[in-house]
Amino acid sequence: MWETLAQAVINGLLIGGIYALVSIGVTLIFGVVKIVNFAQGEFVMLGMYISFFLATQFGIDPLVSLVVSMPVLFLAGVLIQHFLIRRVLGPNDMPQIFLTFALSLLLLNLSLMLFSANYRTVHTSYSDEAWHIGGLYIPVAKLIAFAVAMALSGLLWVFLHTTDLGRAMRAASQNRDVAMLMGINPNRVFAVAFGTALALAGAAGSLLMPFYSAYPFVGQVFVLMAFVAVVMGTLGNVMGALVASLMMGVAESLGIQFVGADSGLIVVFGLLLLTLAFRPSGLGARRGR
Amino acid sequence: MQTSGTMKWLWLAIGAVVMLALPQLVTSSFAIDIFIRILLFSFIGVAWNLMGGYAKQLSLGHAAYFGLGAYTSTIMQVNYGISPWIGMVAGGVVAMLASLPIGWLCFRLRGPYFTIATIATAQVLMLIFLKFRDFAWGAEGTTIPNLGSAPLMMQFEEKSSYYYVVLGLLVVGLWITHRIEKSWIGYYLVAIGEDEDAAEAIGVNAPKVKRDIYMISAFLTALAGTFYTQYIYFIDPATAFSFNVSIEAALVSIVGGIGTLWGPVIGTVLLETTSALLQSWLGSSVGGIQLTVYSLILMAVILWRPTGLIGFATDVYHRYLRRKPARA
Repeated sequence: MWETLAQAVINGLLIGGIYALVSIGVTLIFGVVKIVNFAQGEFVMLGMYISFFLATQFGIDPLVSLVVSMPVLFLAGVLIQHFLIRRVLGPNDMPQIFLTFALSLLLLNLSLMLFSANYRTVHTSYSDEAWHIGGLYIPVAKLIAFAVAMALSGLLWVFLHTTDLGRAMRAASQNRDVAMLMGINPNRVFAVAFGTALALAGAAGSLLMPFYSAYPFVGQVFVLMAFVAVVMGTLGNVMGALVASLMMGVAESLGIQFVGADSGLIVVFGLLLLTLAFRPSGLGARRGR
Repeated sequence: MQTSGTMKWLWLAIGAVVMLALPQLVTSSFAIDIFIRILLFSFIGVAWNLMGGYAKQLSLGHAAYFGLGAYTSTIMQVNYGISPWIGMVAGGVVAMLASLPIGWLCFRLRGPYFTIATIATAQVLMLIFLKFRDFAWGAEGTTIPNLGSAPLMMQFEEKSSYYYVVLGLLVVGLWITHRIEKSWIGYYLVAIGEDEDAAEAIGVNAPKVKRDIYMISAFLTALAGTFYTQYIYFIDPATAFSFNVSIEAALVSIVGGIGTLWGPVIGTVLLETTSALLQSWLGSSVGGIQLTVYSLILMAVILWRPTGLIGFATDVYHRYLRRKPARA
């Protein structure tokens, strides 16, 4: 019993690391640019396909292709912010929601046309390896993914707290107008925030590839988790998103273990609805303009 | 668009005659099928637009009510032999009641997070219907027994009869929208849509108004669910709670003109015609092409014409025909 429980918690934590990369991206964009990027999951999907094609065409290990997927998606993020998002920033929610939603639909359905709906997998030398510690089973690929995810989150934290650009981003997320008055260039800060968020999504994609299948709808799984984690972890808060993501991974895993294989999502949505019912002000209060 | 009273009635009369005569003139069942889809999604769009368009509560979870309507009438019909005409109204009532707790939760969030919460509720309902097999056939779904010609059971041999049913639904939806538009609640909705805090400050009871309009919107959407199930003779959680229904409900309104009476209808005509043309050119083999094109249209509208096709038409009309500035 305790072993099953511990195993479920470990599985949850490991996948929660990936959720964290996605949710940190969502919350970073929300905090700085003040929009919700509905397409965040599709960039995880693109990261997976980049790693998949590099692995099948050039035999590059998915973990190595991180150095390709992250810069490519960073650049994509800067361009998307500059040419699309910038044009809809303002007090009106509708264009912002439906522009990123349209982007999500577009990327998803283009991938469906270009790559077909087939599941793509990459088999690496460590894909099937696992450590056995006590009675516990720890898959190496997931452990690596978790470790790199945590390292990247840590790097982001250092970036946000020690560099001028990072401080500018935090300032812009706390009070955009005052930050502008202090001479922070909003377009530059927004572009870096959007790019960083997409680079994290790309990293999540590459890290997933050794143990998860790529298919056009794969991003939807992660983006829903990320949205729930961001709502639970107080909107716009990077640390909150990280902790909430790990919790969600564990909750989902416990749901799968003790309720049934297809009930992971029910548990997660249940958590969201419970949070909304009992802690709505604590969650929604910081969402200011 | 300002038209004088008599002109308006004339146009409406012409429109009514054309719409009534259409299935008699065009008898190809492919064409009638497209007309039915256009009318159905116009109707769903009209239902969405009441809440999403006027009050700007941008739901992407209206499939929840579509599915509840579909399941309520089907369960009543298959298990108890009750006519879908009664089931349709019952489904509407179930959806209305369901909108109360769902709204209570989702309205705690605003803007994009409201949208996400609505997506989640529709997904949860789909998962529930997938899970409870003895309650509603689980993932396999069920076919509706075909009784041949049975108008009392909402089953017809002629496709044109389905056309008239859904045309009737759309007329009801438009009439309700028109009445709301001209009433106090219409102005309250627009005020909430513009700025909820300001609306509350001047005495609009925003939670109550939002709750009421959500109930009406849910009721109408559920009617569409019953109709659709009767039309395709089949129900399962994936079609009844399909995310595509939620997407299309919002898209047709935004593309046509969000918060306008005719916007959803015009948007549906454009999107469904495009989709039908694509299908006849490329066949249905290319998965994803329909939504790819929809998303491009949606992006174009948002970036260049956020008021939708109606706004575009009004601008052109004023600029070139009236020689007046677009926004006086």
